[in-house]
Amino acid sequence: MLARIANNLFWMGRYIERAEHTARFTNVNYFSSLDAPNKLSRDRQFVLQSIYEMVGEEDEQDEVLVEQDVLYNIALNPDKHYSILKCITYARENANSSRDLISNDCYETINKFYHSVINYPKEYFVTRGLHDFTSLIMHQSTILKGKIRGTMLHDEVYALIKLGINIERATQVTHILQIKYNAAEQVTLSKPKHLKKSYEWTTLLKCVDSFDINRRVYRKPPTQSTVIEFLMLNPKSPRTVLYCLNQMQLHIAMLDPLKVHEKGTALFLIGKMRCEYEYKTVEDIQDDVKEFIAHTFSSLVELSDKIEDEYFYH
Amino acid sequence: MKPTNFKHLFSSYDGNENLFDEIFDKKQNVRKVYQKLFDIYNDQSIEEFINLNNKAKTSFFNQGITFQVYSDDKAQEKIFPFDLFPRIIDANEWKIIEQGVLQRCKALNAFIWDIYHDKNIIKAGLVPMELISSSANYLRQMGGLDPVGGIYNHISGTDLIKHSDGKYYVLEDNIRCPSGVSYVIYNRNALKRSLFGVFNHYDIHTVTDYSENLLEILESVKPKGVDVPTCVVITPGVYNSAYFEHSYLAKTMGIELVEGRDLVVENDFVYMKTISGLTRVDVIYRRIDDGFLDPLEFKKDSAIGVPGLFAAYKKGNVTLVNAPGTGVADDKAIYTYMPEIIKFYLGEKPILNNVHTYHCSRPTDLKFVLENIHNLVIKPVDEAGGYGISIGNRLTKPEIEAVKKVILQNPRKYIAQPIMSLSVHATYIEDCQSFEQRHVDLRTFTLLGQDKEFVLKGGLTRVALKKGNLIVNSSQGGGSKDTWVLKK
Repeated sequence: MLARIANNLFWMGRYIERAEHTARFTNVNYFSSLDAPNKLSRDRQFVLQSIYEMVGEEDEQDEVLVEQDVLYNIALNPDKHYSILKCITYARENANSSRDLISNDCYETINKFYHSVINYPKEYFVTRGLHDFTSLIMHQSTILKGKIRGTMLHDEVYALIKLGINIERATQVTHILQIKYNAAEQVTLSKPKHLKKSYEWTTLLKCVDSFDINRRVYRKPPTQSTVIEFLMLNPKSPRTVLYCLNQMQLHIAMLDPLKVHEKGTALFLIGKMRCEYEYKTVEDIQDDVKEFIAHTFSSLVELSDKIEDEYFYH
Repeated sequence: MKPTNFKHLFSSYDGNENLFDEIFDKKQNVRKVYQKLFDIYNDQSIEEFINLNNKAKTSFFNQGITFQVYSDDKAQEKIFPFDLFPRIIDANEWKIIEQGVLQRCKALNAFIWDIYHDKNIIKAGLVPMELISSSANYLRQMGGLDPVGGIYNHISGTDLIKHSDGKYYVLEDNIRCPSGVSYVIYNRNALKRSLFGVFNHYDIHTVTDYSENLLEILESVKPKGVDVPTCVVITPGVYNSAYFEHSYLAKTMGIELVEGRDLVVENDFVYMKTISGLTRVDVIYRRIDDGFLDPLEFKKDSAIGVPGLFAAYKKGNVTLVNAPGTGVADDKAIYTYMPEIIKFYLGEKPILNNVHTYHCSRPTDLKFVLENIHNLVIKPVDEAGGYGISIGNRLTKPEIEAVKKVILQNPRKYIAQPIMSLSVHATYIEDCQSFEQRHVDLRTFTLLGQDKEFVLKGGLTRVALKKGNLIVNSSQGGGSKDTWVLKK
């Protein structure tokens, strides 16, 4: 497996996953704000800023955001590196360069996906198409991931894509957790006691498509503690940090299983982090949730850098 | 029952009897070999056919079998036009083609060996020395080198046409990096998907065995001392117009598709950079032109090549397929000596016809050309892709004068041939929603290896989609057809 191609496969996985999270986050935040119980959560500026924060766009302080501009930038602006259109373009470019390695079915799906995004009418999107477009992205990326799993040989090519998908998902989940935690703090600024039961926890779960399964696990409305426990430490839900760490370990081990015994390799470090999270309890972290989220985020960034150094730059 | 407004596919087919039509004879009767196919197609309505045609196009587009066109600063993806009416070549006719192209490719291989070694053909006075030494594609670095198995042109694409006399003529030999074979296979797939019923009536050779044969050829020329060779395909990159084909071939052979930046040369051995370090590479099917292979040896600013690659090749540590320097023999000026070349090396008479050629470098020929431009095709000897060609009977008087001037500036650069009439084939034309006559040619694919040779039973039938146009290259708006070679 060529190092350059491995890099492309890894990033193909990351971009597919990123597009999906951006789409869902935008969708959920926008639509749930329309009838949110408190004033700040209903505030359009607050929602748009939160969407910008998700993709890392730095808006000026006190700048009044224009809804149509924000939505266009997030979804279809080819000049914004974070736009969904750009993510899908990068994913497809990466697929192009490794076309000989991925299945025909998989390539055809990503190619069709790309064309459906590229040709999506801008005017329609910014006025009426937000729900339709974001649903399309979530739907198509799910199909694409199904094709990856269902039509490709589960070898190192597959392992690299899965590695990308899972590290991106863990990172996005953590990042969304961070944004929503801050939002919940702001919303309940005057009544800090309400923080633990804030409406933002529900939105947060919806942002990572985990609201209904969370209900099945806890059988009561989400609170700060159950949400953190669930999204960080639940091993069974496919959208949690621990689940992604398990997947990362499984797939990186397919590249070179012997590295697990070598101190300091990416495989070793993933295993170490996974063990830490496997035996952590929500009681361990609830005194400083913010610090723990920040620690998780920076650990994932370090892991990604380590993988890139170790496998892609020879 | 058919609706009353049923319009047959061929209802407005207008046969020009001066042209050789592959489907209809002079009396406008369907030729025997096409009869069944014609009946099936003619039984369909235009509406049904339009539907099929659109489906086939969407399928090509979704599979990403496309190329980029640039307009208004925006890149747009286009599919290569594909015609759903196949071309049929019967077993007897194919036998001649197959033997003929194989003969040519072997003779060319012997010729290249000779001019990079003893130059016997020049000593014998059959081919002039200036022709070789003045060729931009002659690589002095190849002098005295012995490629594995003595093979230079492992992969050759021979372009044939059928003239109005019903005989095949060779128009060009392509022995550098001939492309198009992936379209042969995808055309077949597309036709199978859309009109599978027609295959029941004909017994056709498969074309999907190309890649396995290509891999055997690559492995047959492995460097000395290598047991199981690592073969790779090298491509200039995703933006190359033939990238789709490069990835297709790598994929179907199950070998890596690399770019120059993935390879590195150490101690005259070639390695690729993998996720677990360096892996030795033994055979490289290169889809990069000679000049770009190695910046240390050829073009110094090549960013797509591999520094030190040629030194490794010279040492025999890696095999390049095709060998560098083959371009000297697919020069259009060498083409004209093909009958002599075949006779000299193989002692045989050419099986396929050569189009008579006038060399502007010869004073008597030059005189004839200048006086008869209106009846001739003028071609530069070293251009590919159909560029720089002037067709005499299409030119106005001032244009003829301009062409004369250009020739006189550098006579060596030009040859002239009688205007050949390419045969025509029924082709669906979208703008008119009907079948019309269009000129076609045929590119065949021949493989030569150590103790192995292979001619793909099929080929790329290229169609000039513009009415009356004789240039079929895809870069000039050409399309293609599936090509059926019938079993005996």
